[in-house]
Amino acid sequence: MVEFQDVSVTYNSSGVDALNKVNLKINDGDFAFVVGPSGAGKSTLIKLVLKEIDATSGTVLVNGFNLKKLRRSKVPALRRTIGVVFQDFRLIPTMTVYENVAFVLRVIDAPAKYIRSRVPYVISLVGLSDKAKCYPTELSGGEQQRVALARALVNDPQLIIADEPTGNIDPALSYEIVELLKGINECGTTILMVTHEHDLVRYFGGRIININKGSIDFDEVVGGAHDEN
Amino acid sequence: MKISSFRYLVHQGVAGIWKNRMMTFASFCILLVSLLMVGLASLTAINLTRIISGIEDKSEVVVVISDNADKAAEAELEEHLKAIPNVNSIELYSKEEAWNGMLESMTEEERAFFKYADENPLPDTYRLTVKDIELMSETTAQIETLDFVESTQSPTTFADVLISIRRIFTILATAVVAALVVVSLVIISNTTRASVFARRKEINIMKYVGATNAFIRIPFFVEGMIVGLIAALGALLMTKFAYEGVYNIFSDDSVIWVIMGMKKLYSFNELLFPVSVSYLAAGAIIGAVGTSISTGKHLRV
Repeated sequence: MVEFQDVSVTYNSSGVDALNKVNLKINDGDFAFVVGPSGAGKSTLIKLVLKEIDATSGTVLVNGFNLKKLRRSKVPALRRTIGVVFQDFRLIPTMTVYENVAFVLRVIDAPAKYIRSRVPYVISLVGLSDKAKCYPTELSGGEQQRVALARALVNDPQLIIADEPTGNIDPALSYEIVELLKGINECGTTILMVTHEHDLVRYFGGRIININKGSIDFDEVVGGAHDEN
Repeated sequence: MKISSFRYLVHQGVAGIWKNRMMTFASFCILLVSLLMVGLASLTAINLTRIISGIEDKSEVVVVISDNADKAAEAELEEHLKAIPNVNSIELYSKEEAWNGMLESMTEEERAFFKYADENPLPDTYRLTVKDIELMSETTAQIETLDFVESTQSPTTFADVLISIRRIFTILATAVVAALVVVSLVIISNTTRASVFARRKEINIMKYVGATNAFIRIPFFVEGMIVGLIAALGALLMTKFAYEGVYNIFSDDSVIWVIMGMKKLYSFNELLFPVSVSYLAAGAIIGAVGTSISTGKHLRV
Protein backbone atom coordinates (compact mmCIF):
# COMPACT_ATOMS: atom_id res chain seq x y z
CA MET A 1 0.00 0.00 0.00
CA VAL A 2 1.23 3.47 -0.92
CA GLU A 3 -0.27 6.56 0.65
CA PHE A 4 0.65 10.22 0.19
CA GLN A 5 -0.84 12.68 2.70
CA ASP A 6 -0.47 16.37 1.74
CA VAL A 7 2.95 15.66 0.28
CA SER A 8 4.97 18.55 -1.11
CA VAL A 9 8.51 18.51 -2.50
CA THR A 10 10.56 21.59 -3.21
CA TYR A 11 14.06 21.12 -4.60
CA ASN A 12 16.42 23.32 -2.62
CA SER A 13 18.93 23.67 -5.43
CA SER A 14 16.46 25.04 -8.00
CA GLY A 15 13.59 26.16 -5.76
CA VAL A 16 11.20 24.21 -8.01
CA ASP A 17 8.01 22.86 -6.42
CA ALA A 18 8.00 19.34 -7.85
CA LEU A 19 4.94 18.16 -5.90
CA ASN A 20 2.33 20.33 -4.26
CA LYS A 21 0.15 18.92 -1.43
CA VAL A 22 -0.43 15.60 -3.16
CA ASN A 23 -2.91 13.14 -1.65
CA LEU A 24 -2.90 9.66 -3.11
CA LYS A 25 -3.71 6.16 -2.01
CA ILE A 26 -2.81 3.01 -3.91
CA ASN A 27 -4.25 -0.09 -2.28
CA ASP A 28 -2.71 -3.53 -2.18
CA GLY A 29 -3.35 -5.35 -5.45
CA ASP A 30 -3.97 -2.18 -7.49
CA PHE A 31 -2.52 -1.59 -10.96
CA ALA A 32 -2.09 2.11 -11.60
CA PHE A 33 -0.67 4.01 -14.54
CA VAL A 34 0.97 7.33 -13.62
CA VAL A 35 1.00 9.66 -16.60
CA GLY A 36 1.81 13.28 -17.22
CA PRO A 37 4.10 15.55 -19.22
CA SER A 38 7.83 15.84 -18.59
CA GLY A 39 8.58 17.78 -15.42
CA ALA A 40 5.11 17.12 -14.00
CA GLY A 41 6.47 15.34 -10.92
CA LYS A 42 6.25 11.65 -11.90
CA SER A 43 9.91 10.92 -11.19
CA THR A 44 9.72 12.82 -7.90
CA LEU A 45 6.82 10.58 -6.88
CA ILE A 46 8.89 7.46 -7.62
CA LYS A 47 11.91 8.87 -5.78
CA LEU A 48 9.75 9.51 -2.74
CA VAL A 49 8.39 5.96 -2.70
CA LEU A 50 11.96 4.57 -2.90
CA LYS A 51 13.11 7.09 -0.26
CA GLU A 52 15.70 8.40 -2.64
CA ILE A 53 14.54 11.84 -1.52
CA ASP A 54 12.47 13.08 1.42
CA ALA A 55 9.25 15.05 1.25
CA THR A 56 9.54 18.71 2.18
CA SER A 57 6.21 18.34 4.00
CA GLY A 58 3.50 15.73 4.40
CA THR A 59 3.63 11.99 5.06
CA VAL A 60 4.50 9.11 2.76
CA LEU A 61 3.53 5.57 3.78
CA VAL A 62 4.84 2.61 1.77
CA ASN A 63 4.21 -1.04 2.61
CA GLY A 64 3.81 -0.21 6.29
CA PHE A 65 6.85 2.07 6.50
CA ASN A 66 6.37 5.72 7.43
CA LEU A 67 9.12 7.22 5.29
CA LYS A 68 9.26 10.42 7.31
CA LYS A 69 10.39 8.45 10.37
CA LEU A 70 12.43 5.84 8.52
CA ARG A 71 16.14 5.92 9.38
CA ARG A 72 18.76 5.60 6.61
CA SER A 73 19.87 2.25 7.97
CA LYS A 74 16.34 0.88 7.49
CA VAL A 75 16.01 1.98 3.84
CA PRO A 76 17.28 -1.42 2.53
CA ALA A 77 14.42 -3.10 4.46
CA LEU A 78 11.91 -0.83 2.69
CA ARG A 79 13.44 -1.42 -0.73
CA ARG A 80 13.30 -5.18 -0.25
CA THR A 81 9.51 -4.88 -0.28
CA ILE A 82 9.61 -3.08 -3.63
CA GLY A 83 10.65 -4.30 -7.05
CA VAL A 84 11.82 -1.63 -9.47
CA VAL A 85 11.94 -1.71 -13.26
CA PHE A 86 13.76 1.19 -14.91
CA GLN A 87 13.56 2.56 -18.43
CA ASP A 88 17.29 1.89 -18.93
CA PHE A 89 17.02 -1.63 -17.40
CA ARG A 90 19.92 -1.05 -14.97
CA LEU A 91 21.25 -4.58 -15.04
CA ILE A 92 24.72 -5.24 -13.63
CA PRO A 93 26.81 -5.71 -16.78
CA THR A 94 29.37 -8.01 -15.18
CA MET A 95 26.71 -10.50 -14.07
CA THR A 96 24.83 -13.03 -16.16
CA VAL A 97 21.01 -13.02 -16.39
CA TYR A 98 20.90 -15.68 -13.66
CA GLU A 99 23.30 -13.74 -11.41
CA ASN A 100 21.42 -10.45 -11.90
CA VAL A 101 18.17 -12.06 -10.76
CA ALA A 102 19.78 -14.14 -8.00
CA PHE A 103 21.54 -11.06 -6.62
CA VAL A 104 18.27 -9.76 -5.13
CA LEU A 105 17.83 -12.99 -3.19
CA ARG A 106 21.46 -12.92 -2.03
CA VAL A 107 20.82 -9.44 -0.66
CA ILE A 108 18.01 -10.75 1.54
CA ASP A 109 20.16 -13.69 2.70
CA ALA A 110 17.89 -16.26 1.05
CA PRO A 111 19.00 -19.92 1.42
CA ALA A 112 21.11 -21.18 -1.48
CA LYS A 113 18.66 -24.01 -2.13
CA TYR A 114 15.77 -21.54 -2.49
CA ILE A 115 17.85 -19.37 -4.84
CA ARG A 116 18.63 -22.38 -7.01
CA SER A 117 14.94 -23.22 -7.41
CA ARG A 118 13.38 -19.73 -7.43
CA VAL A 119 15.65 -17.98 -9.93
CA PRO A 120 15.22 -20.42 -12.86
CA TYR A 121 11.47 -20.39 -12.21
CA VAL A 122 11.22 -16.59 -12.40
CA ILE A 123 13.47 -16.48 -15.45
CA SER A 124 11.15 -19.00 -17.11
CA LEU A 125 8.15 -16.79 -16.27
CA VAL A 126 9.62 -14.01 -18.42
CA GLY A 127 10.55 -16.50 -21.14
CA LEU A 128 14.32 -16.30 -20.91
CA SER A 129 15.31 -19.76 -19.68
CA ASP A 130 17.62 -20.27 -22.64
CA LYS A 131 19.40 -16.96 -21.96
CA ALA A 132 20.14 -17.50 -18.26
CA LYS A 133 23.88 -17.68 -18.83
CA CYS A 134 24.03 -14.64 -21.13
CA TYR A 135 25.38 -11.26 -20.10
CA PRO A 136 23.09 -8.20 -20.48
CA THR A 137 25.12 -6.91 -23.44
CA GLU A 138 24.25 -10.09 -25.32
CA LEU A 139 20.51 -9.43 -25.05
CA SER A 140 18.09 -7.21 -26.98
CA GLY A 141 16.37 -4.27 -25.26
CA GLY A 142 13.16 -6.23 -24.79
CA GLU A 143 15.04 -9.17 -23.30
CA GLN A 144 16.96 -6.92 -20.94
CA GLN A 145 13.71 -5.41 -19.74
CA ARG A 146 12.30 -8.86 -19.13
CA VAL A 147 15.38 -9.67 -17.02
CA ALA A 148 14.75 -6.44 -15.08
CA LEU A 149 11.18 -7.59 -14.59
CA ALA A 150 12.35 -11.00 -13.34
CA ARG A 151 14.70 -9.25 -10.95
CA ALA A 152 11.88 -7.04 -9.66
CA LEU A 153 9.70 -10.08 -9.19
CA VAL A 154 12.06 -12.65 -7.75
CA ASN A 155 11.73 -11.79 -4.05
CA ASP A 156 7.96 -11.62 -4.33
CA PRO A 157 7.66 -7.90 -3.46
CA GLN A 158 4.45 -6.25 -2.28
CA LEU A 159 4.87 -3.46 -4.81
CA ILE A 160 6.51 -3.17 -8.23
CA ILE A 161 7.38 0.26 -9.56
CA ALA A 162 7.91 0.37 -13.29
CA ASP A 163 9.46 3.68 -14.32
CA GLU A 164 8.91 4.07 -18.09
CA PRO A 165 9.59 0.35 -18.59
CA THR A 166 8.69 0.51 -22.28
CA GLY A 167 10.65 3.68 -23.07
CA ASN A 168 13.65 1.92 -24.60
CA ILE A 169 12.04 -0.99 -26.39
CA ASP A 170 10.05 -1.65 -29.57
CA PRO A 171 6.33 -0.71 -29.41
CA ALA A 172 5.33 -4.33 -30.08
CA LEU A 173 7.40 -5.51 -27.12
CA SER A 174 5.92 -2.76 -24.94
CA TYR A 175 2.57 -4.53 -24.95
CA GLU A 176 4.32 -7.76 -24.00
CA ILE A 177 5.97 -6.09 -21.00
CA VAL A 178 2.68 -4.60 -19.78
CA GLU A 179 1.00 -7.98 -20.29
CA LEU A 180 3.65 -9.48 -18.02
CA LEU A 181 3.06 -6.76 -15.42
CA LYS A 182 -0.69 -7.36 -15.63
CA GLY A 183 -0.09 -11.06 -15.07
CA ILE A 184 2.05 -10.30 -12.00
CA ASN A 185 -0.68 -7.97 -10.72
CA GLU A 186 -3.27 -10.73 -11.05
CA CYS A 187 -1.19 -12.71 -8.55
CA GLY A 188 -1.72 -9.91 -6.01
CA THR A 189 1.30 -7.66 -6.44
CA THR A 190 0.60 -3.92 -6.52
CA ILE A 191 1.93 -2.28 -9.70
CA LEU A 192 2.70 1.40 -10.15
CA MET A 193 3.71 2.08 -13.74
CA VAL A 194 4.93 5.47 -14.91
CA THR A 195 4.61 5.97 -18.64
CA HIS A 196 4.47 8.52 -21.43
CA GLU A 197 2.82 6.14 -23.84
CA HIS A 198 -0.86 7.05 -23.98
CA ASP A 199 -1.56 4.31 -26.54
CA LEU A 200 -0.57 1.70 -23.97
CA VAL A 201 -2.72 3.29 -21.31
CA ARG A 202 -5.70 3.49 -23.66
CA TYR A 203 -5.23 -0.11 -24.67
CA PHE A 204 -4.94 -1.61 -21.19
CA GLY A 205 -7.05 0.87 -19.23
CA GLY A 206 -7.35 0.61 -15.44
CA ARG A 207 -6.57 3.20 -12.82
CA ILE A 208 -4.95 6.26 -14.37
CA ILE A 209 -3.31 8.96 -12.28
CA ASN A 210 -2.43 12.08 -14.23
CA ILE A 211 0.10 14.43 -12.65
CA ASN A 212 0.47 17.94 -13.94
CA LYS A 213 2.63 20.72 -12.50
CA GLY A 214 3.12 18.83 -9.24
CA SER A 215 -0.56 18.09 -8.61
CA ILE A 216 -2.86 15.18 -9.40
CA ASP A 217 -5.48 16.47 -11.80
CA PHE A 218 -7.03 13.13 -12.74
CA ASP A 219 -7.30 9.86 -10.82
CA GLU A 220 -9.92 7.47 -12.13
CA VAL A 221 -10.43 3.95 -13.39
CA VAL A 222 -11.13 3.81 -17.13
CA GLY A 223 -11.89 0.88 -19.37
CA GLY A 224 -9.35 -0.09 -22.06
CA ALA A 225 -9.49 -1.58 -25.53
CA HIS A 226 -7.82 -4.67 -24.10
CA ASP A 227 -10.81 -5.30 -21.82
CA GLU A 228 -13.26 -4.85 -24.71
CA ASN A 229 -11.39 -7.48 -26.69
CA MET B 1 24.84 -12.39 7.62
CA LYS B 2 25.02 -16.09 6.83
CA ILE B 3 28.36 -17.79 6.16
CA SER B 4 27.14 -18.72 2.67
CA SER B 5 26.36 -15.04 1.95
CA PHE B 6 29.77 -13.99 3.25
CA ARG B 7 31.42 -16.63 1.06
CA TYR B 8 29.42 -15.32 -1.89
CA LEU B 9 30.59 -11.74 -1.25
CA VAL B 10 34.22 -12.81 -0.93
CA HIS B 11 33.84 -14.76 -4.16
CA GLN B 12 32.32 -11.66 -5.80
CA GLY B 13 35.37 -9.67 -4.66
CA VAL B 14 37.76 -12.20 -6.17
CA ALA B 15 35.73 -12.42 -9.37
CA GLY B 16 35.61 -8.61 -9.57
CA ILE B 17 39.37 -8.52 -10.07
CA TRP B 18 39.08 -10.22 -13.44
CA LYS B 19 35.77 -8.65 -14.42
CA ASN B 20 37.18 -5.16 -13.91
CA ARG B 21 40.67 -6.03 -15.02
CA MET B 22 41.58 -2.73 -16.67
CA MET B 23 40.89 -0.60 -13.60
CA THR B 24 42.31 -3.34 -11.38
CA PHE B 25 45.53 -3.29 -13.37
CA ALA B 26 45.72 0.52 -13.04
CA SER B 27 45.25 0.27 -9.25
CA PHE B 28 47.82 -2.52 -9.07
CA CYS B 29 50.45 -0.49 -10.97
CA ILE B 30 49.89 2.64 -8.90
CA LEU B 31 50.07 0.71 -5.63
CA LEU B 32 53.18 -1.17 -6.74
CA VAL B 33 55.04 1.98 -7.80
CA SER B 34 53.98 3.84 -4.63
CA LEU B 35 55.08 1.01 -2.34
CA LEU B 36 58.33 0.71 -4.25
CA MET B 37 59.09 4.45 -3.99
CA VAL B 38 58.35 4.64 -0.27
CA GLY B 39 60.05 1.31 0.43
CA LEU B 40 63.29 2.12 -1.39
CA ALA B 41 63.43 5.59 0.16
CA SER B 42 62.94 4.09 3.62
CA LEU B 43 65.60 1.42 3.05
CA THR B 44 68.06 4.07 1.86
CA ALA B 45 67.32 6.11 4.99
CA ILE B 46 67.74 3.08 7.26
CA ASN B 47 71.11 2.19 5.73
CA LEU B 48 72.45 5.75 5.77
CA THR B 49 71.48 5.98 9.45
CA ARG B 50 73.40 2.77 10.04
CA ILE B 51 76.47 4.12 8.25
CA ILE B 52 76.42 7.31 10.30
CA SER B 53 75.90 5.32 13.47
CA GLY B 54 78.91 3.16 12.47
CA ILE B 55 81.07 6.25 12.25
CA GLU B 56 79.76 7.42 15.61
CA ASP B 57 80.61 4.10 17.25
CA LYS B 58 84.21 4.50 16.16
CA SER B 59 84.53 7.79 18.04
CA GLU B 60 86.58 7.03 21.13
CA VAL B 61 87.37 8.94 24.28
CA VAL B 62 90.94 8.33 25.44
CA VAL B 63 91.41 8.60 29.20
CA VAL B 64 95.05 9.07 30.22
CA ILE B 65 95.75 7.50 33.64
CA SER B 66 98.02 9.28 36.11
CA ASP B 67 101.53 7.86 36.54
CA ASN B 68 100.97 7.61 40.28
CA ALA B 69 98.01 5.22 39.90
CA ASP B 70 98.80 1.68 40.97
CA LYS B 71 96.90 -1.40 39.77
CA ALA B 72 94.26 -1.06 42.51
CA ALA B 73 93.69 2.60 41.65
CA GLU B 74 93.37 1.71 37.95
CA ALA B 75 90.78 -0.94 38.80
CA GLU B 76 88.90 1.57 40.96
CA LEU B 77 88.96 4.11 38.12
CA GLU B 78 87.66 1.46 35.71
CA GLU B 79 84.71 0.81 38.03
CA HIS B 80 83.95 4.54 38.19
CA LEU B 81 84.13 4.78 34.39
CA LYS B 82 81.83 1.81 33.93
CA ALA B 83 79.34 3.46 36.29
CA ILE B 84 78.92 6.44 33.95
CA PRO B 85 75.61 5.80 32.11
CA ASN B 86 76.77 6.99 28.67
CA VAL B 87 79.84 4.74 28.61
CA ASN B 88 79.29 1.89 26.16
CA SER B 89 82.56 -0.09 26.25
CA ILE B 90 85.84 0.30 28.05
CA GLU B 91 89.23 -1.15 27.25
CA LEU B 92 92.58 -0.79 29.01
CA TYR B 93 95.41 0.08 26.68
CA SER B 94 98.59 -0.44 28.68
CA LYS B 95 101.73 1.64 28.22
CA GLU B 96 103.49 -1.49 26.84
CA GLU B 97 100.77 -2.05 24.24
CA ALA B 98 100.89 1.62 23.34
CA TRP B 99 104.71 1.48 23.01
CA ASN B 100 104.62 -1.65 20.83
CA GLY B 101 101.84 -0.20 18.76
CA MET B 102 103.81 2.98 18.23
CA LEU B 103 106.92 1.03 17.19
CA GLU B 104 104.92 -1.07 14.75
CA SER B 105 103.57 2.00 13.06
CA MET B 106 107.11 3.35 12.49
CA THR B 107 109.52 2.80 9.65
CA GLU B 108 112.67 0.74 10.21
CA GLU B 109 114.81 3.87 10.62
CA GLU B 110 112.44 5.44 13.13
CA ARG B 111 112.26 2.20 15.10
CA ALA B 112 116.06 2.06 15.25
CA PHE B 113 116.09 5.52 16.79
CA PHE B 114 113.84 4.38 19.69
CA LYS B 115 115.37 0.93 20.03
CA TYR B 116 117.65 1.85 22.89
CA ALA B 117 115.26 4.03 24.86
CA ASP B 118 115.58 2.91 28.46
CA GLU B 119 112.16 4.05 29.63
CA ASN B 120 108.66 3.87 28.09
CA PRO B 121 107.33 7.43 28.27
CA LEU B 122 103.78 6.52 27.30
CA PRO B 123 100.97 6.33 29.90
CA ASP B 124 98.35 3.64 30.53
CA THR B 125 95.04 4.67 28.96
CA TYR B 126 91.43 3.63 28.93
CA ARG B 127 89.66 3.79 25.57
CA LEU B 128 85.96 4.30 25.82
CA THR B 129 83.14 4.30 23.32
CA VAL B 130 79.96 6.17 24.19
CA LYS B 131 76.32 5.23 23.73
CA ASP B 132 75.13 8.67 22.68
CA ILE B 133 77.57 10.78 20.80
CA GLU B 134 75.52 13.91 21.51
CA LEU B 135 76.49 13.57 25.20
CA MET B 136 80.20 13.14 24.48
CA SER B 137 81.20 16.57 25.84
CA GLU B 138 79.27 16.04 29.09
CA THR B 139 80.67 12.54 29.48
CA THR B 140 84.23 13.76 28.93
CA ALA B 141 83.75 16.51 31.52
CA GLN B 142 82.40 13.94 33.98
CA ILE B 143 85.41 11.67 33.42
CA GLU B 144 87.84 14.53 34.03
CA THR B 145 86.50 14.95 37.58
CA LEU B 146 87.51 11.38 38.52
CA ASP B 147 90.64 10.61 40.57
CA PHE B 148 93.74 9.35 38.75
CA VAL B 149 92.64 10.85 35.46
CA GLU B 150 95.55 12.80 34.01
CA SER B 151 93.71 14.06 30.96
CA THR B 152 91.20 13.09 28.31
CA GLN B 153 91.15 13.28 24.53
CA SER B 154 87.84 13.16 22.67
CA PRO B 155 86.87 14.09 19.11
CA THR B 156 84.20 16.55 20.27
CA THR B 157 84.45 18.71 17.15
CA PHE B 158 84.10 15.65 14.92
CA ALA B 159 81.23 14.49 17.11
CA ASP B 160 79.50 17.83 16.68
CA VAL B 161 79.85 17.55 12.90
CA LEU B 162 78.44 14.03 12.97
CA ILE B 163 75.55 15.15 15.14
CA SER B 164 74.74 17.97 12.69
CA ILE B 165 74.97 15.60 9.72
CA ARG B 166 72.71 13.11 11.45
CA ARG B 167 70.15 15.77 12.35
CA ILE B 168 70.04 17.18 8.82
CA PHE B 169 69.86 13.69 7.38
CA THR B 170 67.05 12.64 9.71
CA ILE B 171 65.00 15.71 8.77
CA LEU B 172 65.68 15.19 5.05
CA ALA B 173 64.93 11.47 5.14
CA THR B 174 61.71 12.01 7.11
CA ALA B 175 60.62 14.78 4.75
CA VAL B 176 61.36 12.73 1.61
CA VAL B 177 59.59 9.61 2.93
CA ALA B 178 56.63 11.69 4.19
CA ALA B 179 56.34 13.50 0.85
CA LEU B 180 56.42 10.20 -1.02
CA VAL B 181 53.77 8.75 1.31
CA VAL B 182 51.50 11.78 0.75
CA VAL B 183 52.00 11.74 -3.03
CA SER B 184 51.37 7.98 -3.11
CA LEU B 185 48.20 8.27 -1.04
CA VAL B 186 46.84 11.03 -3.30
CA ILE B 187 47.56 9.00 -6.44
CA ILE B 188 46.18 5.79 -4.93
CA SER B 189 43.08 7.61 -3.69
CA ASN B 190 42.43 9.04 -7.17
CA THR B 191 42.93 5.67 -8.81
CA THR B 192 40.60 3.83 -6.43
CA ARG B 193 38.04 6.62 -6.83
CA ALA B 194 38.24 6.28 -10.61
CA SER B 195 37.96 2.52 -10.29
CA VAL B 196 34.86 2.78 -8.08
CA PHE B 197 33.41 5.62 -10.19
CA ALA B 198 33.49 3.31 -13.22
CA ARG B 199 31.24 0.96 -11.24
CA ARG B 200 28.94 3.56 -9.67
CA LYS B 201 25.92 2.30 -11.67
CA GLU B 202 26.52 -1.17 -10.32
CA ILE B 203 26.54 0.20 -6.76
CA ASN B 204 23.42 2.24 -7.54
CA ILE B 205 21.54 -0.83 -8.74
CA MET B 206 22.57 -2.78 -5.65
CA LYS B 207 21.13 -0.01 -3.47
CA TYR B 208 17.81 -0.09 -5.35
CA VAL B 209 17.35 -3.80 -4.76
CA GLY B 210 17.82 -3.31 -1.03
CA ALA B 211 21.48 -4.17 -0.48
CA THR B 212 22.95 -2.81 2.75
CA ASN B 213 26.11 -0.70 2.61
CA ALA B 214 28.12 -3.54 4.16
CA PHE B 215 26.83 -5.98 1.54
CA ILE B 216 28.02 -3.66 -1.22
CA ARG B 217 31.31 -2.79 0.44
CA ILE B 218 32.56 -6.29 1.25
CA PRO B 219 33.34 -7.35 -2.36
CA PHE B 220 35.07 -4.00 -2.99
CA PHE B 221 36.99 -4.43 0.27
CA VAL B 222 38.10 -7.95 -0.66
CA GLU B 223 38.99 -6.88 -4.19
CA GLY B 224 41.03 -3.90 -2.95
CA MET B 225 42.82 -6.03 -0.36
CA ILE B 226 43.79 -8.73 -2.85
CA VAL B 227 45.03 -6.17 -5.37
CA GLY B 228 46.98 -4.46 -2.55
CA LEU B 229 48.55 -7.76 -1.46
CA ILE B 230 49.54 -8.69 -5.01
CA ALA B 231 51.03 -5.22 -5.54
CA ALA B 232 52.91 -5.59 -2.24
CA LEU B 233 54.34 -8.96 -3.33
CA GLY B 234 55.41 -7.45 -6.65
CA ALA B 235 57.00 -4.48 -4.87
CA LEU B 236 58.74 -6.86 -2.45
CA LEU B 237 60.30 -8.89 -5.26
CA MET B 238 61.43 -5.78 -7.12
CA THR B 239 62.86 -4.30 -3.92
CA LYS B 240 64.75 -7.53 -3.24
CA PHE B 241 66.38 -7.53 -6.67
CA ALA B 242 67.20 -3.81 -6.60
CA TYR B 243 68.49 -3.94 -3.03
CA GLU B 244 70.63 -7.02 -3.52
CA GLY B 245 72.12 -5.48 -6.66
CA VAL B 246 73.25 -2.42 -4.71
CA TYR B 247 74.28 -4.53 -1.71
CA ASN B 248 76.54 -6.75 -3.83
CA ILE B 249 78.30 -3.73 -5.32
CA PHE B 250 79.14 -2.35 -1.87
CA SER B 251 79.95 -5.75 -0.37
CA ASP B 252 82.72 -6.23 -2.94
CA ASP B 253 84.52 -3.21 -1.49
CA SER B 254 83.68 -3.90 2.13
CA VAL B 255 87.29 -3.16 3.25
CA ILE B 256 86.68 0.46 2.32
CA TRP B 257 83.71 0.59 4.66
CA VAL B 258 85.80 -0.81 7.53
CA ILE B 259 88.64 1.64 6.89
CA MET B 260 86.16 4.50 6.77
CA GLY B 261 84.76 3.32 10.07
CA MET B 262 81.39 2.63 8.54
CA LYS B 263 79.26 -0.39 9.22
CA LYS B 264 78.30 -2.51 6.28
CA LEU B 265 74.82 -2.19 4.76
CA TYR B 266 72.07 -4.43 6.12
CA SER B 267 71.71 -7.59 4.08
CA PHE B 268 68.25 -8.09 2.56
CA ASN B 269 67.75 -11.20 4.69
CA GLU B 270 68.15 -9.09 7.83
CA LEU B 271 65.43 -6.76 6.56
CA LEU B 272 63.19 -9.37 4.95
CA PHE B 273 60.72 -9.73 7.84
CA PRO B 274 60.09 -6.03 8.60
CA VAL B 275 60.06 -5.12 4.89
CA SER B 276 57.64 -7.96 4.01
CA VAL B 277 55.29 -7.16 6.88
CA SER B 278 55.35 -3.42 6.08
CA TYR B 279 54.73 -3.95 2.37
CA LEU B 280 51.96 -6.52 2.83
CA ALA B 281 50.24 -4.57 5.60
CA ALA B 282 50.47 -1.27 3.70
CA GLY B 283 49.29 -2.88 0.45
CA ALA B 284 46.36 -4.68 2.04
CA ILE B 285 45.24 -1.75 4.20
CA ILE B 286 45.59 0.94 1.51
CA GLY B 287 43.94 -1.31 -1.10
CA ALA B 288 41.05 -2.41 1.10
CA VAL B 289 40.36 0.79 3.03
CA GLY B 290 40.98 3.06 0.03
CA THR B 291 38.52 1.18 -2.16
CA SER B 292 36.02 0.83 0.64
CA ILE B 293 36.09 4.57 1.43
CA SER B 294 35.75 5.44 -2.25
CA THR B 295 32.52 3.43 -2.45
CA GLY B 296 31.02 5.50 0.38
CA LYS B 297 30.24 8.47 -1.86
CA HIS B 298 28.16 6.29 -4.19
CA LEU B 299 26.24 4.61 -1.39
CA ARG B 300 24.17 7.69 -0.58
CA VAL B 301 21.26 6.74 -2.84
